[in-house]
Amino acid sequence: MKIQNTPAEQPAEEMENGYDISRRHFFKLTGGIAGIGLFYASCKPPGAPTNIFLGSGDTALLNFIYILQQIEAAFYIQAVATPYYGMDHLELLAITDVRDQEIAHREYLKKLLGNDAVTNISADFSSVTFAERASVLSKAGELEDIVVSGISSAVNLFTNKVYSLALSKMVSVEARHSAYFKDMHTWNSFGDGVDAKGFDKAVPPRTALENMNAFSHTNYDASKLPN
Amino acid sequence: MNFKNILHEIEKNDPEVYEKLSGRRDVLKSFGSKVAVVALPVVLGSLFKKAYGKTTDVVVDSLNFMLELEYIEYTFYRTATNTGGLIPAKDLAGFKTIESHEKAHIQFFIDTIIAAGGTPFVPKHYSHPTTNAPYVPAAYDFTKGGAYAPFANYNHFLMLAQVFEDTGVRAYNEQSSIFWGSALYTQLQQITATEARHAAHARLIRRNLGAVEVPAPWVTNDIAPITDFLANYDGEQNTKQLDVEITALKGHKDDNIPRLSASAAFDEPLNKATVVSLMKPFILP
Repeated sequence: MKIQNTPAEQPAEEMENGYDISRRHFFKLTGGIAGIGLFYASCKPPGAPTNIFLGSGDTALLNFIYILQQIEAAFYIQAVATPYYGMDHLELLAITDVRDQEIAHREYLKKLLGNDAVTNISADFSSVTFAERASVLSKAGELEDIVVSGISSAVNLFTNKVYSLALSKMVSVEARHSAYFKDMHTWNSFGDGVDAKGFDKAVPPRTALENMNAFSHTNYDASKLPN
Repeated sequence: MNFKNILHEIEKNDPEVYEKLSGRRDVLKSFGSKVAVVALPVVLGSLFKKAYGKTTDVVVDSLNFMLELEYIEYTFYRTATNTGGLIPAKDLAGFKTIESHEKAHIQFFIDTIIAAGGTPFVPKHYSHPTTNAPYVPAAYDFTKGGAYAPFANYNHFLMLAQVFEDTGVRAYNEQSSIFWGSALYTQLQQITATEARHAAHARLIRRNLGAVEVPAPWVTNDIAPITDFLANYDGEQNTKQLDVEITALKGHKDDNIPRLSASAAFDEPLNKATVVSLMKPFILP
């Protein structure tokens, strides 16, 4: 970790952004000595977007699902572009299909949101070794589980029932993806995470968003996201 | 039947039940055991109508329909996992997991139906109670009139497992809409996701064993394993969601979303009457 710019060296346009101004204060006030949290914040790349606002009500829920789909799509785009060592033909077909399904979900949500869609989210896959089969398969399973658990709850929070019914059609598909990657990683583990009552996981949207930060260090303003 | 227990049972499955009953919490709790038992179904019926905007009949019918599907699945898997030589050793643990999920689902639906003031469905030929409850092999004909041998032929077993699971996902997808806005709606999503995992697993084994249509773990277009099950998949080829044509969306690079992926990205609901007619040949009169 290294601090690339001192405040004096920051280009003017970047200094206008609230994040960088706070960083300038940080240096002025502390002289570079600070707690871990502040230090970490100071190392974020200049110009990084802060607190992406999801909107409120149904819009926030659509944006929530849109964010999950953006990160999933980015994961599989990378996984297909740099296939893990030993990926056979059937595996390549399957993961390419999943990629296209997640892009379909992403573009569908973007279309539903229109001008209310959040910006493009940058993913962080530093925890994934894309060349390694076990890494890709286990991380894909993790990613899919976060999405299943988040959408399962989110679809019950829309005020417009039409959205609930339409988007719930994605829950079982994401569960199929998860089962596939888990089985490919460890045979018969398709149901890991299903509890003794036979229930797959469901968590409130904000929890899922936090969990998703394992794959994207993005700050969201989810204060109006139904939860 | 104890009124407090019923409410407690409902609360376990729907923590917001008291709030849904329009702030009558204290009144309800104060009833205690003083309410005449004969009046309970009437009282509960009207409460449920207020809570879910549905009559008790609609709610209980739907829950009983899902319960019946779970009985079929559980009995199917239990028979298979107890038939020596059918399931290869490496696959046995997976089907025992599925069997345990289906058994738990049966209990969940029974508890929920009782909590709703309904009478849980009981399969025909159910000899009650056996050491194997809720196992009811006498109720079903999984050969479909001799067409298949699922407990002698592993490929037949896998094919029926896939068809039952895929059809179950579609049925739950449709039924869950009745419970929209209640905690049960989310719970049904969780159960549907579990069934989808089962479907994906059965499909993956068939894929690995070289099934002729090369099934993916998800439903591609309306492709059925054999023509006998075309109706179970009819409608899955849909690529239009909320007036958005998915194949018209931009996909990877400059291509549009491929039709097969556009259809696979969504599991389509299937109405109760169709599912009942599709399952009927497997149920003994």
